[in-house]
Amino acid sequence: MRRKSSYDFYLILATALVLFAISAISIYGMFYFKFAQIQQMAPAIKFSYMERMNAFITPFIIILILLLGICVPKRLLPTVWLNRGTVLLVGTAVLTAQLADIKTSLLVILSASLFLQVIVLILALAGSKNLNFHKKGYWVRLGSSLVHLGFILLVLDLLLYKKEVLHLFLFWITTGASVAGMFFCFYAEFVVGFITGKKNSSSEINT
Amino acid sequence: MEKVLPGMLSFKTFSQSGTFLLTVLLIAAGIISFPAVLNLASSSPRYQRSSTVLLVVINLLFAAGFLWICWFHLQIYMKLPLEVPENLMIWINQQLTMMNKGSSYGLPLLDAAAPPRYKIPVWIENEKYFFWFMCYGVMALMVHLRLQSHRFRAILHIFLALQIFILYIWADPFTSPLPQFFTEIAPWFAPGQSIMAKAGYFMRLYPKMIFYYNAEYMWFHPPLLFVSYGAITIIFITSVFMLVKRELVIEKVGYDYAKLGFFMLTLGMLLGYPWALKAWGPNWWWDPKICSSLMMWAVFSTYLHTRLYANKKFMWYFTSFLGILCFLAMIFTFLTSFYFPGEHTFQ
Repeated sequence: MRRKSSYDFYLILATALVLFAISAISIYGMFYFKFAQIQQMAPAIKFSYMERMNAFITPFIIILILLLGICVPKRLLPTVWLNRGTVLLVGTAVLTAQLADIKTSLLVILSASLFLQVIVLILALAGSKNLNFHKKGYWVRLGSSLVHLGFILLVLDLLLYKKEVLHLFLFWITTGASVAGMFFCFYAEFVVGFITGKKNSSSEINT
Repeated sequence: MEKVLPGMLSFKTFSQSGTFLLTVLLIAAGIISFPAVLNLASSSPRYQRSSTVLLVVINLLFAAGFLWICWFHLQIYMKLPLEVPENLMIWINQQLTMMNKGSSYGLPLLDAAAPPRYKIPVWIENEKYFFWFMCYGVMALMVHLRLQSHRFRAILHIFLALQIFILYIWADPFTSPLPQFFTEIAPWFAPGQSIMAKAGYFMRLYPKMIFYYNAEYMWFHPPLLFVSYGAITIIFITSVFMLVKRELVIEKVGYDYAKLGFFMLTLGMLLGYPWALKAWGPNWWWDPKICSSLMMWAVFSTYLHTRLYANKKFMWYFTSFLGILCFLAMIFTFLTSFYFPGEHTFQ
């Protein structure tokens, strides 16, 4: 039990570090944009700036997706299997990046995460007790599953931005999943109260 | 601009009444800051009931000012249509039809029976500060009623007074309302123009009307962000208190507003995306404002994640530090529009 909690804790710390790195790159991008006067440059230079920034941020997005790739199955698998699965996922990602390219590697990780997250969502919907969540409560778990599904779909959607119709369609699904997820997760007590007519539900207290 | 738009809008009535209201708001803010300073220095609560009454009065004044702004916008909608002479309308519709062929998002053709009108949201130019600070005022009142700590209440009141002071000195929405908007549209309403000049002005004003002033996303994207800014200010105050004392009640208030703020921020940012695609096309990536917003969202996400382990002593202080960082990131993100070029710039 303690081991699971510490696993969660280090995952959260790692996520925080990656998010900090993404923040730092964003700030660098802002200052570069201003001082290099990108807005006044020819489209080709603007494009090369965007490409360079994309190259900077891609490794961190991959790490974030990998962390999510670990985060999602941790709800389903015991720690030993989780470690094996993680090694397999990282191995597949590296191999795909070598054999094809980084984008394909990202697509593989995203597809695996998406598949697992859909299973988690179905189990959460069914009220399965076998899922390992940090928090208890049906709606909190369902909400958390939807938020994570929304994030995976968002990154997948950004990769598919050239397919205009699919891109927007997927975007609205992402928005719907994220909004519903946040609402269930943050306001689980209200949702239960609304559905059952009871004012308080101890199982959904989200503190 | 009052000379260019003679008798079309009641600028004087709006400005004078609005300025009076803002002055009363400033006086109320001045009065509430005195007991706030006293309470901050004192170990026992003082003037708590009068502070509550004043806080309610300030919120009512904000609500009155907001309704006054709504009324002014209704006047703009009713009295400033972009009426185009019939012969010019045929030419413009031909131009628009041609333009629409090569674009994913077209401009609607003109209809003589229903000329295009400005449906301006009530949070543009200086009005956005009024709306933002009003949101904070409502939240400050709710937290004031929920928590009894007189020092915590004092900080809430000082922040509110500071915001009203900023509104009065730098961001007054009443004295000279919507200066940028009226500068843009004034030439259109100037008398004695040639038909070609009129056509030129129309082709400049109409796309901005459709994709900016009248954009449906304008009614969701900015206000959601301003609500989240108000909530982040509350998180900042609770985080500062958490650094001083490990009090669970204050942490719980901070978390409640973090949930609201994150919900509004994420939804607001997401709703900005299809609008950006529509107005600027897909080539807006790595715009400075987008970068800083991503940075703020990342810091906010980190705050919510670390908060799960706030029962550990180190994580309690780390979460508080992140709450403060989140507020600084918000200020930085907001100021980005002034100092960095790009699609969101106010420069």
